[in-house]
Amino acid sequence: MKTRFQGLSGLSWLSLALLISWLILPLIPLALWSVSRSWFFPDILPSSYSLRAWSYVFSTTSEVLPALGQTALIALGATCISVIIGVPAGRALGLYQFRGKAVIEILILAPMIVPGIAVALGLHVVFLKLGLAGSAIGVMIVHLIPTLPYMVLVMSGVFSNYNPAAEAQARSLGASPLQAFYYVTLPAILPGLMIGSLFTFLVSWSQYILTLLIGGGRVVTLPLLLFNFASAGRNDITGAISMIYILPGVLLLLVAARYLTGRNGNLEGMHRI
Amino acid sequence: MLSPALLIVCGLFIGGLALGFVGSLGYMPLIGQETFNLDAYRQILLSERFLLSFLLTFHIAFTSTVIASLLALGAALILRQSFLGRSVINFLFQINLTVPHLVGAVGILYLFSQSGVFARLAYEFSLISKPSEFPAMIFDPLAIGIIMQYVWKEIPFIGLILLANMQTIGRDYEAVAQSLGASRWQSFRHVLLPLLMPGLLTSGMIVFAFTFGAYEIPALLGQNYPAALPVLAYQAFTDVDLNARPEALAMAMIIALLSAVMIYGYARFTRRYIRK
Amino acid sequence: MSDLALEHLTKIYPGSETPAVEGVSLNVESGSLTALLGPSACGKSTILKMIAGLLTPTSGDIRFAGSSVLKQPPQSRDAVMVFQDHLLFPYLTVGENVGFGLKMRVQAKAKINRAVGEILELVQLSGLEQRKPSELSGGQQQRVALARALILRPRILLLDEPFSNLDESLRLEMQTLLKSLHAEMKTTMLFVTHDQEEAITLADKIALLLSGRLRQYDIPQNLYNHPKDREVAQFFGARNFISGRVEAGKFDCPLGQIVLPENAPADGRLLTIRPENIVIGSNASSDNSFPATIASKKFLGSQTRLELDATGQELTVLLSPNIAESLQAGTEIIIQLPRQSLWVLP
Repeated sequence: MKTRFQGLSGLSWLSLALLISWLILPLIPLALWSVSRSWFFPDILPSSYSLRAWSYVFSTTSEVLPALGQTALIALGATCISVIIGVPAGRALGLYQFRGKAVIEILILAPMIVPGIAVALGLHVVFLKLGLAGSAIGVMIVHLIPTLPYMVLVMSGVFSNYNPAAEAQARSLGASPLQAFYYVTLPAILPGLMIGSLFTFLVSWSQYILTLLIGGGRVVTLPLLLFNFASAGRNDITGAISMIYILPGVLLLLVAARYLTGRNGNLEGMHRI
Repeated sequence: MLSPALLIVCGLFIGGLALGFVGSLGYMPLIGQETFNLDAYRQILLSERFLLSFLLTFHIAFTSTVIASLLALGAALILRQSFLGRSVINFLFQINLTVPHLVGAVGILYLFSQSGVFARLAYEFSLISKPSEFPAMIFDPLAIGIIMQYVWKEIPFIGLILLANMQTIGRDYEAVAQSLGASRWQSFRHVLLPLLMPGLLTSGMIVFAFTFGAYEIPALLGQNYPAALPVLAYQAFTDVDLNARPEALAMAMIIALLSAVMIYGYARFTRRYIRK
Repeated sequence: MSDLALEHLTKIYPGSETPAVEGVSLNVESGSLTALLGPSACGKSTILKMIAGLLTPTSGDIRFAGSSVLKQPPQSRDAVMVFQDHLLFPYLTVGENVGFGLKMRVQAKAKINRAVGEILELVQLSGLEQRKPSELSGGQQQRVALARALILRPRILLLDEPFSNLDESLRLEMQTLLKSLHAEMKTTMLFVTHDQEEAITLADKIALLLSGRLRQYDIPQNLYNHPKDREVAQFFGARNFISGRVEAGKFDCPLGQIVLPENAPADGRLLTIRPENIVIGSNASSDNSFPATIASKKFLGSQTRLELDATGQELTVLLSPNIAESLQAGTEIIIQLPRQSLWVLP
């Protein structure tokens, strides 16, 4: 397809400019607050700036760094489990036709659509009994509800573009099943797997209500902290935490925006972020 | 290959729903309740608090889904054209896709609260003389702030799905329509729109289900009474009075039921779309 | 009267150096069935889209009955296009698809239904109004696409490789249908094809396009027998080219003097004859007879191909297998180049 620049009409440019400003706008006061010292009504811009909020955020006494670590660990754990369990499932759904596939697809899809609160309220009792409520492990497990289906969906998209004949070829050339996976399958699915994992990480990274309910306030992740500072009116610290909190997503988007085409399943689960 | 995944999905997801359902029927061995009844449903359905909350939540979900869908459609129509700087614009269009809802909610709070950026601008232009004169858009009965947050967040989501659909559809159908005498508007109305409908409906359903059940946004931007349904459910669930739990679970079931309807619609439309 | 005139039509796609279409001028007569023939990516579909108004020419003009239509949007040009893929709207029934154009012109429902019934009868699909396009066979789908265009009684019907996605037998059936529709409705039709056989069977006149340029525009027989230059001849399968020059009605070449037909151009440098027109084993008395040696022989099914060496000149001959049976590689034979089968190229 040749690149053609037909140009846009003035009206289109105007609407586009308005739209993009609207999409960027809410992030601006957050960034400004994070570096403000005082910013009282009715000043349009802060009257003085300081890095107070940032030094608080990075100080060893604040709970921000532990929360950051906690959030990352939980997201990492949920992603790893999702990869280990989700890749074979994605392969089955992407490559093979079998009876009841449609039902399974809906079963995988449903947890991505049904809001977390509807599920987590019921789970709470069991997690309490198992001693998982209030623990990071419990939070990680409950994060699997959105992350695992997301991984399965992404991987089934990856596998539907994958030709398993290459594995058979490797096996006939003397590779063991493990070797065939390592040398043939893995290189083929790796780009999709990487991108899918990063987005899965982000899905866990953004969970709020699941963490709040199962963590019971004892597992403090970044979003919980953010919520608390926001409702307590500490706008400067809220701003700084927000900036840290959105960083992985923005970085990921820089690398992986072109994979969000809606054709490989990456996009469908984005609303859970 | 599927069984571990199915086990976890069934265990956590179906299990959670089933336990919630049982609990909503009043079965709570923890406090010695071992009978089933519909008291919780009866109670919430008769309470004004719940009904107002349900209506508010429906209003939030419906309004934000419709507005986001329309704006996303417009955005996709512009963005599918080729123009200079398109890749930059495309990136900016996607940027809040990976920004968590909560951050967007805080951003909206700082923009639209009565001491927010827009209130300050209004003061600057002498439209208001003190913060309280700025129209309430946060903690307000119409949930304007919440809706703005969802619209902000969901435009790129729906927009990208529509763009992907448009790419699959191509421009040939519209070319045929024009060649057959359709004006630009007619070829949009009678050709592109019907072809996009499945994508529009399915993404709308995902967004509706999400906005109906999200907790943190209305918890941060919403008023206390009536509160959005997930907020009300959470409050009831964490109530010191354990007797409120069945009601919380009943509300969770109502949220789940509504999303089940959305999933049904989603499955139907994707199926139809694939068959073509 | 000419219905459609292209004048120095040129299209350069933005970002591309070479023109997709370059300086094409063409007059299509009213009521004719004309083929735009050429290999893929020769610019023929681009021309069609420019006529339909779906692309804007870089320069040049397009006139319908004398007046320029460049400023008119596609919907008001009265030139309807049928695409290679049927592109039936999947969410509409067959009847609604066929009636689409009339609906866009805001006509009464009853009137549309009547017209749809009539046109479907013409394409032999009566009674299928309520079906969905996905329930039809490939041939039926393409008929619906034809009907959807013809119902508008357009001034010009543009067909972009309409049958190339169909299998052989269906294609023949559709070609017959198109021919009879053309005879019935007398619509001016311009169709694009890469298949020379299709062009020769269907068209009154063929415009041959090679890399964006119009190379020859003539009746099929002339393109086949009297090509304008070597490339045109090669496109139609000519393989024998003999260098030399024309002198007083004869072609002077290493083979000797070859007598030309009366209407042959007087200033050519290449003599061509189609492989199937060379006669083997002539009467010695006849004109244009030369000795040759068979270099190789290849059985091709319905024909046999001989590669000959005639005093250093390579020639290819196609003949029926039973005649070729007695001939072997190495055999010395006499060939005759019948006068009326010869043509001279620049």
